[in-house]
Amino acid sequence: MDPRRLRLGFLLAAAAMAFAFLLPSAPNALPLLARPYISAISAAACLLCLLAAWLADLRATVAGFPASVLAAVASLLLLDDPMVAGSAGAGFWLIVIACWLSAGLCVATLADLRQLPRKRQRAVDLLVPLLFGATVFYLWEVGVRGLGVPPVLLPAPSAAAARFASSLPTLGTDFVQTFVRGVLIGYAIGCGAGLLVAILAHRYQFLSRGLLPLGNFFAALPLVGIAPIMVMWFGFDWPSKAAVVVLVTFFPMLVNAIAGLSASGHIERDLMRSYAASHRQSLTKLQLPAALPFIFNALKINATLALIGAIVAEFFGTPTQGIGFRISTEAGRMAIDMVWAEIALAALAGMAFYGLVTLAERATTFWHPSYRT
Amino acid sequence: MKQTLVLATGLAIGLSLASAQAAEPVTVQLKWVAQAQFAGYFVARDKGFYQDAGLDVTIKAGGPDVAPPQVIAGGGADVIVDWMPSALASREKGVPLVNISQTFKKSGLELTCRAETGIKKPTDLKGKTLGVWYGGNEYPFLSWMSKLGYKPDGSAGGVKVIKQGFNVDPLLQKQADCVSTMTYNEYWQVIDGGYKPSQLVVFKYEDEGVATLEDGLYVLEKNLGDPVFVAKMAKFVKASMKGWDYAKSHPDEAVKIILAADTTGAKSEKDQKRMMGEVGKLLGDTDGKLDVKDYDRTVATLMAGGSDPVITKKPDGAYSFAVYDAMKK
Repeated sequence: MDPRRLRLGFLLAAAAMAFAFLLPSAPNALPLLARPYISAISAAACLLCLLAAWLADLRATVAGFPASVLAAVASLLLLDDPMVAGSAGAGFWLIVIACWLSAGLCVATLADLRQLPRKRQRAVDLLVPLLFGATVFYLWEVGVRGLGVPPVLLPAPSAAAARFASSLPTLGTDFVQTFVRGVLIGYAIGCGAGLLVAILAHRYQFLSRGLLPLGNFFAALPLVGIAPIMVMWFGFDWPSKAAVVVLVTFFPMLVNAIAGLSASGHIERDLMRSYAASHRQSLTKLQLPAALPFIFNALKINATLALIGAIVAEFFGTPTQGIGFRISTEAGRMAIDMVWAEIALAALAGMAFYGLVTLAERATTFWHPSYRT
Repeated sequence: MKQTLVLATGLAIGLSLASAQAAEPVTVQLKWVAQAQFAGYFVARDKGFYQDAGLDVTIKAGGPDVAPPQVIAGGGADVIVDWMPSALASREKGVPLVNISQTFKKSGLELTCRAETGIKKPTDLKGKTLGVWYGGNEYPFLSWMSKLGYKPDGSAGGVKVIKQGFNVDPLLQKQADCVSTMTYNEYWQVIDGGYKPSQLVVFKYEDEGVATLEDGLYVLEKNLGDPVFVAKMAKFVKASMKGWDYAKSHPDEAVKIILAADTTGAKSEKDQKRMMGEVGKLLGDTDGKLDVKDYDRTVATLMAGGSDPVITKKPDGAYSFAVYDAMKK
């Protein structure tokens, strides 16, 4: 980042911290100078911002990062005061802005680094999104608590995290019901069926020309329309959720697998023909391996689609457990912190699932050109 | 020339008089879609009772995704129609709702069972599959089960519970032995689905002693500190009660008004007529005054909801007679 911009940014952050001492943190609250620990922390943050402004290059992150952490701590400590929470004033928001500015400048500087040795580059690549995410969560927390947003509209992330930690058994049963029983089984059946039908369609022309357009039609069926019908056919428990997941994952896998099976090159196919390979040998030794990148494409898409499908299907009738069930009932009870805890669970499960599929992809399609760059 | 002058002056005076009486705007959020359950408000609007009271009322219909406490917390309404369990739960979770009027005195919630399952009395429910609405409507059920001593988790010696959608399919598809119904709505969906009343066994929550108060009017606590708001609400409640009175005595006309207001067309005239008749049986006093005994019974039911009570401490200041007193003046 341009050193002059960096310097200007950190100077603005320092100025914001300085003005926070002068302006009120909230109407009717003690001024910042009357709070010994918080003023010490804020003053330290201000000095570190000035140091970062003076350095104005990569080393500025070493000063800027602790500055943003200290400013964040100062603002969170201020929120513990009931006079500030809910009616925060200009002084408080200046501290938030200072924290945000210095964190943002650190992220921007780190993101510019490209040419580091491998291990360090990996560490920086991990640090940039973590820092960015942490800033977003911080802004959410101070925004909700400082503005006094009612918790039934948007709870603070700390409330959601506390509820997460205290409801682990419930979250565990919901995870097993939705993910292990609904998603995994439906995913396996749906992707397996899609692959099988794709292999058949590749072999028999009439299937590919007749089935694909119909597949388009089935893919366009709305999820919220299918789910109640599946509940009627397969009952309230996990089979209906697995059925919805099968329907949702079948078509992406079908389309991608058909495209993949035709992806092998002419020369390779001619080679197989010259070896008098039977159709099955050609399939297992050439076409399926060549189709793997496409198949994994579909597997990755389906990983997230399956989770969405299972959760939405649970809105339409379930036994009394499951992520979708918990979200809809706790929303009805106004326990929105539990809703966010379940959302976090679903997000973590989805990310982990997607990550596992990506790892499998890396292991099996290492030969693909996209990995060589 | 003289005639036009007189005409112009007359128009000017008339217009200024009309604009001097600007009507006060009120937005009311209903708990569900426009149906005979909310007849009083639609009748009051159509027959001009709100206009006569100097109010310009906007009625917002609810639906499956509309939570009235969230609407009022977000500033989308001045007053909401809600059930007391939901309102008390919201109060504990940070939305300070206060009951200003109780429209329904009796509860219309009931458990409808297929007679072929052999259920004759509540003790026969053990081991059966029961459909229960969630989203705030499960508390009377949980309290009843805890009174009977049956755990609602599908364990042996308990009952199996499935979360029912806003229909009676689990009963019609024979996936559940019993489903939750309202006397004025879903029960008739079961009848329309092909069951005769002799093939059904119905347990009314009122008869089991675990009923909670249903439709009532709620506002945010901070607004009750403003005398202008209290006066406005008093006018609103008075005109609404007049609407309910009229709807009770002229049900056919009320049904026509509701059908005109229902843009979804989901219910036929026959359904609305039946609903109007049943709702009329649930209404309380013509002035909507909350009976504190009913309130105490509701609170007791909610706090006894098994291992997961939805309110953990007795609510304080959850109802107010300020509007009722202003109405009487």
